[in-house]
Amino acid sequence: MGVSRRDFLKQVAAATAASYVGMSLATTPASTAHAAGQAQKWVRGTCRLCGTGCRVELGVKNGKAVALRGVPKSRTSMGYLCMKGMLFHKLIGNQPDRLTRPLYRAKKSEPFQEISWDRALDIAAKEFADAIKANGNDAVAYYGSGQALTEETYLFQKIMRGGLQTNNVEGNPRLCMASAVGGYVTSMGADEPIGGYANVEKASCFFIIGSNMSECHPVFFRRVMRRKLDNPDFVKVINADPRVSATSRIADSHMQFRPGTDLAMLNAMAQVILEEGLQDDEFINNYCTFRIGKESKQVDLSSYRKFLEAYTPEKAAAICGGNITAKSIRQAARWFAKSNGTLSCWTMGINQRRRGVWANNLIHNLHMITGQLCKEGADSLSLTGQPNACGGVREGGGLCHILPGHRLVAKEPLRNQMEDIWGFPRGRLPSKPGLHTMAMFKAVNEKKIKAIWVHCTNPAQTLPNVTPYREGMRSDDLFMVVTDIFPTRTTECANLILPGAFHFEKTGVYGCTERRSQLTPKAIDAPGEAMPEVWIAREWALRLAKLLNDPMIRQCVADFEGKEPDYALPKAIWDEYSQKATRGQDNDLRGATYELLKTMHDGVQWPAPTKEHAATGGTVMKFVKGFDPLADEHSENDLPYQFYGPAHPDKKLWVWLRPFQGAAEEPDADYPIYFSTGRIIDHWHTGTMTGRIPELIRGNPYSFVEINPKDAKAYGIRNRDMVEIESRRGKIVMPARIRSGPMEGMIFAYMHDMAEDRMVNKVCVDAFDPGSKQPEFKICACRIRRVSGPKRLSPVIVQL
Amino acid sequence: MPIGGFIITCAPEDLTAALEGIAAFPAVEVHGTDEKGSIVVVMDTETSEAMDDIVKTISRLPAILSVGLAYLNTEDEIGDEA
Repeated sequence: MGVSRRDFLKQVAAATAASYVGMSLATTPASTAHAAGQAQKWVRGTCRLCGTGCRVELGVKNGKAVALRGVPKSRTSMGYLCMKGMLFHKLIGNQPDRLTRPLYRAKKSEPFQEISWDRALDIAAKEFADAIKANGNDAVAYYGSGQALTEETYLFQKIMRGGLQTNNVEGNPRLCMASAVGGYVTSMGADEPIGGYANVEKASCFFIIGSNMSECHPVFFRRVMRRKLDNPDFVKVINADPRVSATSRIADSHMQFRPGTDLAMLNAMAQVILEEGLQDDEFINNYCTFRIGKESKQVDLSSYRKFLEAYTPEKAAAICGGNITAKSIRQAARWFAKSNGTLSCWTMGINQRRRGVWANNLIHNLHMITGQLCKEGADSLSLTGQPNACGGVREGGGLCHILPGHRLVAKEPLRNQMEDIWGFPRGRLPSKPGLHTMAMFKAVNEKKIKAIWVHCTNPAQTLPNVTPYREGMRSDDLFMVVTDIFPTRTTECANLILPGAFHFEKTGVYGCTERRSQLTPKAIDAPGEAMPEVWIAREWALRLAKLLNDPMIRQCVADFEGKEPDYALPKAIWDEYSQKATRGQDNDLRGATYELLKTMHDGVQWPAPTKEHAATGGTVMKFVKGFDPLADEHSENDLPYQFYGPAHPDKKLWVWLRPFQGAAEEPDADYPIYFSTGRIIDHWHTGTMTGRIPELIRGNPYSFVEINPKDAKAYGIRNRDMVEIESRRGKIVMPARIRSGPMEGMIFAYMHDMAEDRMVNKVCVDAFDPGSKQPEFKICACRIRRVSGPKRLSPVIVQL
Repeated sequence: MPIGGFIITCAPEDLTAALEGIAAFPAVEVHGTDEKGSIVVVMDTETSEAMDDIVKTISRLPAILSVGLAYLNTEDEIGDEA
C-alpha cells in the first residue's frame, strides 16, 4: 500500500467524522468517501445489532465487505455507529463455522449429516404434516425473532395460521417487548410510541428508567448526551435504576431504588404532580379518562387522587429503599412536569417484570397527567432491543394473539379481513390465540407440541429458568427445525438445521423503535448453500400443501411462486403486506414501497398511507393533526390531537390506577440477594454473533458478575474471585467485579456467555406478567459464595 | 491495517484533559476539535483488534464521555486474511 493512499484514506476518515459534528477540516471533504479506490459500490442498509435502526453503508469490493460508514443524513443515527455496529460486517460473508449446508439427524444423539435442500425441505414438511395428522393442528409451532426480516415473519405466520391453521406463532419479542405492547395498547389504545428520536433534540427533561442506554443503545444515548452537554443547566436528566451504570454519567439525579419497587416510585411522582398542582388540566379534560381493574372500569380524577394517597413520597421512599428520598421523588416529579418537553425512555428494566405492563402504564400516566405528549420534546418512548421486534413481530403478526396490522386474533371481523386479503374462505383462520412463549415451551415439555420451527433465535439459552425447557427441546419426542447462520445452544437441540442468509446477503425490511421501516438490500452472496428464509418458507409450504392435500396451504404462497429469492420474492411479500395487510390500519405502510425505501437515507415512520407522505419520512408524531394523516382522517372534533387507537372505544388516553406490586421472587433468608442481568456494550444477546468477532470476544471473553463493595466485603469476595450464584433453579460460577454499580443487596451479571457454567438464565425465574406473559428476567432471589481466587477462563463458542 | 474516523466527546471544560489523554496513543491523530467538546480523530492501527483496544482504553479515560465511529476501512486487513 502506498503512503499516499493511506493518507488519502485517513483524510476521508477524518472528513467523514468531522461532517457529523459540523466541523470544518482543512482536508479532503467527506464527499470523497465516494471516491474510487475505496469500494466498488456502497450499499445502504440498517445495522443489525440493536433496535435503534442506525443506518450504515457497506463498502463492497470483489464480492466482499471491505468498508463501513455511517449515513450522516439518517434521522435514526445521524451517521454514528457503535463498536458493535462498526464490526458486525465481519459476520457478512463467510466465517469459519458459518452454517452453509442443510444438516439433519433423525435422533438428537446422532451426529448431523449434510443433506440436500430438496431432502431437507421434504423432511421438514413430512415431520410437520405427520405431527398434524396424528395430533392436530396445534401440535406444531413456529418460534421466530425480532431479528427476522418483516417479510420472513409475515410469510411464516401466514403459512402457520392460514396454511396449517394454528396460531402457535410466537417470537422472542415476547421476552423483551411484550410488556411495552401491553402498556401502549392499554394506556394509549394503540401499540408503539407516539413520537420518536426527533424529540431528543427538543427535550428539556429526560426520564431514563430501567435502561442502560449508554451500553445498550449507544448511538441513541449519544444524542441524549449531546443534548445534555449542549444545555447543561436547561436540560435535566433523571436516571432511575437499581444499578448505577455508564448512563448515569450524564444524570443530574440517579434514583437508585430497590429492585421491583418501581411502581411505588412512579405512583409517588404522580402523587406529587397532583398534590402540587403540576398537572395539565386541559390535557386531562380533553384527552384522558381514568381506569381501574380488569374490567377497565372508569373512575374520575378524585378517585385517582385518593388512590395515590397510599404513595406519598414519604411512603414510597420507605418502600423503594436505596437512595430514594421523599425529596428526590419530589424533585424528579417537578422536573418531569415543568419541563418544556419530557422524554421518558426505558427498556428491559421495566418490561421484564412480573408487572411490566403496569410499570409501562405508570410511566405513560406521568406523561398523560402532565400533557407531556404530542408536543416537541415530549414522549413516552420504549426503546427496543432488537432490530425488527417492532416492524416484523409487533406489526407483522409475529405473536400468538395478533395478526398482521395490529389485528387481534380473537376478533372475528379482524380475522375475516385477513381471510379476505389472503383469499381464504371465511372461518379458515383459527379463532383461538395460540400459545405464548412460556406456554409454548411448557407444551414442548409436556409433549403436546410435536414439531417446532425455531427461526433466527436461541431459546435454549434465552428462556428464563432455561434448564427444564432445554430438556424438552432435547427430547426425541420433539422434531425441531432451526434456521440460523451459526451453531448455537438451540441448534444443539435440532433435528434439522437450515442455513439462512445473513444481513446484507438478502433483501428485506426492519422496523426500529420509532415506527420507522428501513430497507436493507442484498449486497453480497451468502456463503455455500445458505438461502434467504423467505425462499425456505415458500418451498416448505409447497411441500406441505401436497402432503396434507390442502390447496389453501399453496394459496399462502401462490403469489410468490417462481420469484427469485434475492429481491423479487421479498418484494412481492412486502407488497402484499404493506399494500393489503396494513391498508387502513394504524400502521398503514402503503406509501413505503421498496422503490421509495431504496431512495431514502433512512426509512418511513408509519402511518404512511401515501407515497407523498412516506417520501417525507412519514409520521413524526402520531395522533397529531397536520402531522399524522390518520389523525386528520379520524378527526371527530376541533381538538388538535385525535387518539384513534383501535383498543379504546372512547378515543381517549387511559390513566391507570395500578397498585404497587413487588417482584415474583423476593430475597429471603435462604436466598438473600437480588439477582439481575443485562448487556455489556460490546456484546449482544447470547453472543452467537458478537462472540465470533475477535475484537469483541477478546475484549469481553466471558461474563462476570458485578458485586457491590459492601456485599463483597460481607461475603469475603475480592475482585476477580470466582463466585457461585445459586437460585432455586440452578447455579452458575463466574468472576466477580467489585463495583458500586449495583446497589447493596443486589448483584448484576452479564448475559451473553454461552458456557454451560455461566449461562445466567439457569438462575433466572420464569414467572411472567399475567397480561403480557413476559418473564421477569430482571429480578429473582439468589445466594452467593466465593468459590476460589481468580481463575483463567476461556471463551466458549458453541460448535457443531 | 484498518483506518477509522471517530468523534470523541467530552464535556467542554474537559477538552484539554481529554486531548492530553488521547495524546498518549501514537496511532491516534487528532484532526480537529470544537467548543462543544467534539474531537475528530483518525486511528491507523495494525489490526482491528488493536484499534478496538485503543477505543476501549480511551473510552475509560475520566475525561471522555463517548467514542463514536463514523468511518471504517478494513480493506487491507481483509485482503491480508484472504
